[in-house]
Amino acid sequence: MTNAVVAQNLAKDFDGITAVKNISFEIKPGECFGILGPNGAGKSTTMKMIYGHVVPTKGDLFVLGLNARTDIKRIKSKIGVVPQEDGLDVDFNSLENLQIFASYYGVPRDIAKARAEHLLSEMKLSEQKFRHVEALSGGMKRRLAIARGMIHQPELLVLDEPTTGLDPQARLWIWNYFENLKAQKKTMILTTHYMEEAERLCDRVAMIDQGVMLDCASPAELVKKHIGAEVVEISSGSETSYWKSKLSTLKIDFQDHENKLFAFFPNVQARQSFIMQLQNIHYVTRLANLNDVFLKLAGYSMRGDA
Amino acid sequence: MIQVWLRNFLFFRKTFLVTLFWTTLEPLMYLAAIGFGLGRFVEQIEGLSFIEFYYPGLLASTAMMVSYFESTYPSYTKLTYQKTYLTMLLTPLNPNQILFGEILWAATKGFIGICGVILISLFFGLFKVQVYLVLPILFLLCLVFAAFGMIVTSLAKNYDSFIFSTSGLIIPMSLIGGTYFSINDMPLFMRSLAQIFPLTHAVSLTRTILYRQLSMSSLIDLGVLIIYLAVFVLIAQKLFSKKLIK
Ligand SMILES: Nc1ncnc2c1ncn2[C@@H]1O[C@H](COP(=O)(O)OP(=O)(O)O)[C@@H](O)[C@H]1O
Ligand SMILES: [Mg+2]
Repeated sequence: MTNAVVAQNLAKDFDGITAVKNISFEIKPGECFGILGPNGAGKSTTMKMIYGHVVPTKGDLFVLGLNARTDIKRIKSKIGVVPQEDGLDVDFNSLENLQIFASYYGVPRDIAKARAEHLLSEMKLSEQKFRHVEALSGGMKRRLAIARGMIHQPELLVLDEPTTGLDPQARLWIWNYFENLKAQKKTMILTTHYMEEAERLCDRVAMIDQGVMLDCASPAELVKKHIGAEVVEISSGSETSYWKSKLSTLKIDFQDHENKLFAFFPNVQARQSFIMQLQNIHYVTRLANLNDVFLKLAGYSMRGDA
Repeated sequence: MIQVWLRNFLFFRKTFLVTLFWTTLEPLMYLAAIGFGLGRFVEQIEGLSFIEFYYPGLLASTAMMVSYFESTYPSYTKLTYQKTYLTMLLTPLNPNQILFGEILWAATKGFIGICGVILISLFFGLFKVQVYLVLPILFLLCLVFAAFGMIVTSLAKNYDSFIFSTSGLIIPMSLIGGTYFSINDMPLFMRSLAQIFPLTHAVSLTRTILYRQLSMSSLIDLGVLIIYLAVFVLIAQKLFSKKLIK
């Protein structure tokens, strides 16, 4: 089977500003692929190249076997997009939003109506169907935008920050919904800056920062490869340099950030034997996660537009 | 393209009463105030009574104004704040199809305005059968200014940008395009300037169809309108697509 998406040395410059630099990745059918990175990393630009709102400056991009440079119309008929800004039509109510959007795909009216009703009930929006979109809550709007992206039964879902700005309940609901889609082997590509979201939903994750791809693998592989299994956070304060040299002599991998040290261990035993030596100092132990990977690869400094 | 038109029509249906109001009340006021009121002080103009002379001008300037205003402020809102066009662009629709749908819609709205003028003109005894021949010409004029509006929309930086095209072009055109007074009464410089404006040709063609014999200059009027449409559409295509696809 052909790959759902193939990007080869993809790059985009916006009059001098490089948003994406030579990114390459492949997404397999049935996979949930995540693009993880902070604000301004180039996530939306990458997504927009997939759905044709941005034309790549360099590189090749194939979506569902079709060339994004020449066949974008056919690509767009086969993919469902939920852009970062919902772009719901504020002149209409929820049901009309879905019906009108379906008409842009040429879905016949009776079929569009039936699908819209079905999706609204699946998205727990049936009671909102005659409400104007401006009267909906943030979570409802996002669910409506997801429903809209599925009205033409796409083969691939493209979701740009689908849960950003939502409250925990709304986010959890959407996560569960995506897990159902995953169970049905829907191919999905989503961007996020929430590490836990990527960890929970994505089969594989591409970490990007400042337009550059840092690494791409499954969340578990990324954690294992770059961090290990266990983390000890040491509030080293004024003794930071002492602890740094100590960790170095013990050949323990670590990162430091503002008088705090993050020491990484391959397993619990290694961690235990280290914390035996810690006295009169505050520390926390926990499992390693994608956050640690990202901060290690991208550095701890704040991003320009963060 | 037709889906884009239909989206606008569905929204228009919701605000039908507002439309009924402006399509009939405005021409009523203009014909009464300017045609009757002001016209009493004018004996004859180009061999016509003032209200007869003014009627084709009102038809053409209504076509221009309504289409232009529909393809500027609302379109700019859809382009920027509402992101309506970007949402349409998620589907197989391309920028040209969206543009043509919008131009056709704005022209449709201009046409509705013209129908209002014609309806009201009946009460002023201005009805002539030839008005049916005028409709396609006026629709062509609607398309010209719908396309022009989309150019301005694609160039606009904010809502204030429209002041330049409105006060700098649309209003002057409606004043010296042969609407309120004969262009033959103007100094040569003004007359040549008026000949550049598409509105002038539409007014003159409309007036000829209603009251006179068609001639070579009618053909020129028609040609000018068609050329304006073609050029405006080409420019609008370039600018609009650049606004949507980066
Ligand atoms: N249309 C554009 N014109 C100029 N610069 C842009 C445009 N879109 C994005 N950028 C820039 O490209 C970079 C990446 O942006 P984006 O892809 O939106 O990041 P993300 O989605 O990861 O937050 C940012 O520096 C942003 O300012
Ligand atoms: Mg983004």
